[in-house]
Amino acid sequence: MKKRKIELNVNGEAHTISVPPQRTLLEVLREDLGLTGTKEGCSEGECGVCTVLLDGLPVRSCLLFAVDVRGRKVTTIEGVAQGQRLDPIQEAFIEQGAIQCGFCTPGMILSAKALLAHTSSPTEDEIRVAISGNLCRCTGYQKIVKAIRAASREAQRDVGQALR
Amino acid sequence: MALRTSKIRKAEFHSSGKEKAVMEYFEAKTVDEASRFLREHPEARVLAGGASLVVLLKNGLIRPSHLVNLKTIPGLNAIEQAEGCLRIGALNRHGDILSSPAIRKICPLLPEAASKIASPPIRNMGTIGGNLCHADPAADFPPSLIALGAKAKLVSDEGERTVPVEKLFVGYYETVLSPTEILAEISIPSLNRRSSGSYVTLDQVTNGVSIVGVAAVVGLADDGSCAFAGIGLGGVAPTPLKVERAKEILVGRKIRDADIECAAEEARTICNPTGNSFASAEYRREMVRVLTKRALRDALKRIGEGRTFSGE
Repeated sequence: MKKRKIELNVNGEAHTISVPPQRTLLEVLREDLGLTGTKEGCSEGECGVCTVLLDGLPVRSCLLFAVDVRGRKVTTIEGVAQGQRLDPIQEAFIEQGAIQCGFCTPGMILSAKALLAHTSSPTEDEIRVAISGNLCRCTGYQKIVKAIRAASREAQRDVGQALR
Repeated sequence: MALRTSKIRKAEFHSSGKEKAVMEYFEAKTVDEASRFLREHPEARVLAGGASLVVLLKNGLIRPSHLVNLKTIPGLNAIEQAEGCLRIGALNRHGDILSSPAIRKICPLLPEAASKIASPPIRNMGTIGGNLCHADPAADFPPSLIALGAKAKLVSDEGERTVPVEKLFVGYYETVLSPTEILAEISIPSLNRRSSGSYVTLDQVTNGVSIVGVAAVVGLADDGSCAFAGIGLGGVAPTPLKVERAKEILVGRKIRDADIECAAEEARTICNPTGNSFASAEYRREMVRVLTKRALRDALKRIGEGRTFSGE
């Protein structure tokens, strides 16, 4: 088994690590970098708890080999807040009570983050499609959808204020 | 994506056992190089988006000696329109096809099919080439590509050949690709301005496997008669199918309800479904008939509304 040295940019921080070819990005994040906010569920791409952003797009970290994403930008839930200040989506999830057990939450928030990055005011349908790859067994999704809507309005208000 | 196999194997994959020690990784720079590598290493497998391959690996269904990454080959993710053809590089991800302005304009049927594949994060990984080469009989791209008359370009270090998409498949998860061949590109012939298509599926759940999928493409001549017709079926045989007789049933006449019934009956006749927990063979067969009618009517309706392939 040949290990390969790869460079990864995770949450804005450059890492150089040695990995065997079949080590998944999920394993690297959780075990090598200690970023356990990204969860492991089904481990075959169905459940969405391992969702991270790769160059801004949501992907399944359980189905990606770390060697295959070398040099790319990875965003995990740990990289969403700005220092102590939570992201508006995180705030909205708390305010709307969109979290119960919390296991799906990191993936949900990252899917929502990718959606709001290119659709500032999504319809309910667009929100539901965006989180359709993230299973939640507690909330029934209603409050999650509400939280993402609230966050999008929040984002618009911020833009409005900045323009004023 | 929907493979359901023993979870015990997965534990093996994750453990630091022997298997882990044998797999090596190779980044190809050209198709030729990838092909030569595959010739020298018959147990190697190619890696594109990984959405299907990694699931196979984790479940112990394949145990390649090497993974040959194709994503390091430049030029396999182009989208271009030339010589009466829309050419789509095999490494385009489903999400690329969904968001490509060119494809949305010239051939909105493909984004329609792409939108049915798995979930958004998988669509940001899986590629159209991988979708075809995985050869899942229920895959969502083949019916539309078959209905459109698309061709696949297969390349190796010894040359290249082009095969119609329906001839790409030989059985469950099996294609005509030789061990050294790589699917490089899909080309879709341009249809006239009065053509449109529709892809309809029978689903159990959102983001789930399409139990049955039927794509229909229709093009009309100036006098309103049918100038082009293609129908592709998924999930109802060991391979995706083309309804070969669609042309003789529909082309050259003004399509009436009786013609649609006739084409739907032909689709029902040629399919060869097996049943599983999602749907019995009989039910699938009946659904092929129903969905074929729906897809054809939908395609004609879209032409009527001006929602045609080059228009909008």
